[in-house]
Amino acid sequence: MRPFYGAFAGAGALLLAGLSSVQAATEIEFWHAMSGTLGERVDELVKKFNDSQKDYVVKAIAKGNYDEVLNGTIAAYRAKRQPEIVQSNERSFLTMVNSGAIVSTTELMAQQGRPVDVSKFIAPVVSYYAIDGKLQAMPFNSSTPILFYNRDHFKAAGFDKPGATWQELEPQLDAIKAKGVSKCAMVLPGDYEWSFLENYSAVNDIPYATKRNGMDGLDTSFVFNKGKLVGQVERMKRLVTSGVMQLAGQGIIPIQLFTSGECSTIIASTASHAAVVAAAKFDWSAAELPYEQGVTPKNSVIGGAALWTLKGHTPEKYKAIAAFYDFLAKTDTQVWWHQATGYVPVTTAAYDAAKAEGYYQKNPTREIAVVQLMRGTPSDNSLGFRIGNSNQINVAIMEEVSAAFLGKKPVQQALDDAVGRGNEVLRRYEQLNAGKK
Amino acid sequence: MPARNSTAALPVAAGGGVLRLRWPFRRLLLKGGGDGQAESGLKRAHFRDWRLPFWLLAPQLFILLLFFFIPSIRALIQAFQLTDPFGATTQWVGFQNFERLFRSSVYWSSAQVTLIFTIAQNVLTLSLALLLAFASNHILRGRGVYRTVLLLPYAIAPAIAGIMLAFLFNPRVGPVAHMLQELGLDWDPNRNSWHALSLIVMASSWKHICYNYIFLVAALLSVPQSILESAYLDGAGPIQRFLRISLPMITPTLFFLIVINFVYGLFETFAIVDATTLGGPAGATSILVYKVYQDGFVTLDLGSSAAQSVVLMALALFLTFAQFRFVERRVNYSV
Repeated sequence: MRPFYGAFAGAGALLLAGLSSVQAATEIEFWHAMSGTLGERVDELVKKFNDSQKDYVVKAIAKGNYDEVLNGTIAAYRAKRQPEIVQSNERSFLTMVNSGAIVSTTELMAQQGRPVDVSKFIAPVVSYYAIDGKLQAMPFNSSTPILFYNRDHFKAAGFDKPGATWQELEPQLDAIKAKGVSKCAMVLPGDYEWSFLENYSAVNDIPYATKRNGMDGLDTSFVFNKGKLVGQVERMKRLVTSGVMQLAGQGIIPIQLFTSGECSTIIASTASHAAVVAAAKFDWSAAELPYEQGVTPKNSVIGGAALWTLKGHTPEKYKAIAAFYDFLAKTDTQVWWHQATGYVPVTTAAYDAAKAEGYYQKNPTREIAVVQLMRGTPSDNSLGFRIGNSNQINVAIMEEVSAAFLGKKPVQQALDDAVGRGNEVLRRYEQLNAGKK
Repeated sequence: MPARNSTAALPVAAGGGVLRLRWPFRRLLLKGGGDGQAESGLKRAHFRDWRLPFWLLAPQLFILLLFFFIPSIRALIQAFQLTDPFGATTQWVGFQNFERLFRSSVYWSSAQVTLIFTIAQNVLTLSLALLLAFASNHILRGRGVYRTVLLLPYAIAPAIAGIMLAFLFNPRVGPVAHMLQELGLDWDPNRNSWHALSLIVMASSWKHICYNYIFLVAALLSVPQSILESAYLDGAGPIQRFLRISLPMITPTLFFLIVINFVYGLFETFAIVDATTLGGPAGATSILVYKVYQDGFVTLDLGSSAAQSVVLMALALFLTFAQFRFVERRVNYSV
């Protein structure tokens, strides 16, 4: 008899607790793609918000990598069980905007009486996530690629630091290998399409696609098979063929080859700071992306992800979302997030605050990404990329470029084929989304 | 509750004995409430009305409907559409998805890779499993241990198997790769298509050898001992006995396994590819089913992915049909 009463009382307590929490706080779900150390940081961030007030509760749920989060969101949306907030990477920008499933951040914040001031955000973030000055998503984790290097290796090879241009860096990498300092002078990152091609074209101010890289409409076409980018891929091929640059391959993550001391350099997202700080047992540092000799380097472009608000929820929930976004944009939150993860602060106020407290004097590599993103005036080639079905095109480009690495086809032909396949996808995207922006 | 009819045993059909049925089945199954002769079997005429067979089949039909027919029809419809992943816009495009597919050189090279992959995987799996089954049949001490060990890989998830092999054979950190490099082979599946392809053949065969093995062991056990013994008396050695007597007698099992291996290679290996090579380098291991997965789930090109799965389904139907039509003629069912 006793267990029965116990269970009864327990159920009653649960029911009461459930009721009271319904009355006390509005709960919203936040699906994200952060794993490992970054996942823990997201949990901390959400806890900070939940503890800061009593009206709203954000539940952060890790749903796998970016592709898996997007897939899960699509499935949930089609089943009408979508979460309130999803984190989606910058590549899926057009997919999200044209999905008809989202509420733009500017609109949401205006409705909730917490208007967004776009000018508060740093320029490369705004140019990526805003259309006509309206933020489509809430900027969250923004990054850009930088060059991490093993200072011990560079010293052993007789160098002070990596050269600023490719023309200076290349002989250094060759020397590191030739002198036997390490068998792997550089490791190719898994997302090299972003760091070696897209960002290369932005930094060196060359066009990647027409219509300002897609910013001016869906009738854009790729043009990266001409000019300097061909040389860049030729260079990558030479480095890969001579064994100076290694491919990590499946089973290990490229950054692990750097942090283990196996490879001397890697061009990776500034968010890799979290992993490098935790694992690298040698003297390391970082530098800005190398560029071509004789070029005045432009700003690099962002990667990472933003938070999207999904349609179909109650006004109460939207109030909660707006409160959460407000919290995210706060200078304190941004400074903490920037320092804890390595992502760049998305507001200028946060950058200034971190600078004022002397953070960059103690951690100079943390500033590289911000400086690189904000240097010079953005040109048509460095505003950002607005490419439909970007994931699909990415796969095609990487396939063609690696065919060139393998010697299956000449670099020029590989790039021509990549452009051809990319343009075909763009035309299909245009066909489906005719009349949209 | 005491058994109402304690004399009725469970249905036992062994040895041509009398089939006894419990109360509800006896009434429903047997013609004229009959006296339960096993010889009468369970033919259609013996079901008194349609309800029992329907309910017996219902769970299976329901599962088929849910997990095969509905998705298949959805895929068929989607193959003729161009659609936004969120479902906001859908356009009917006729055969455009198929046209694009058949014009695409990438697709044809994927088909070519699939052909090489499935055949290599089939040959490797079957021959190794046959060798192991033959060997473990001739081991007397510790036979059970050998069999258990040989069956273990089947319990490992494909993704785990793939990751493990990818790591072991990783040219930078993998111990097996280092061994191969010591032996003078410039092993690098990241830069050599054939190395990558052999890696997924190895991974998928390794996973599937145990499945083949268990069937082959059972088949070899069913070869009549008397024939083997008389061959032994005639002076035939173990290998000769295996090749001349056991092998012809297990052709039905071999045929079944060939069909199953093709289906496995075509449909169930995408997790292995995803974990081992991600379809690379440069599409060298992008087999058709992996392309379906990648185009549909990673890059969200639903129309093309659906068209590909329709093609793949047709291919599987054709292959199975062809195997039964042409290969089965060489199979000897009468022992």
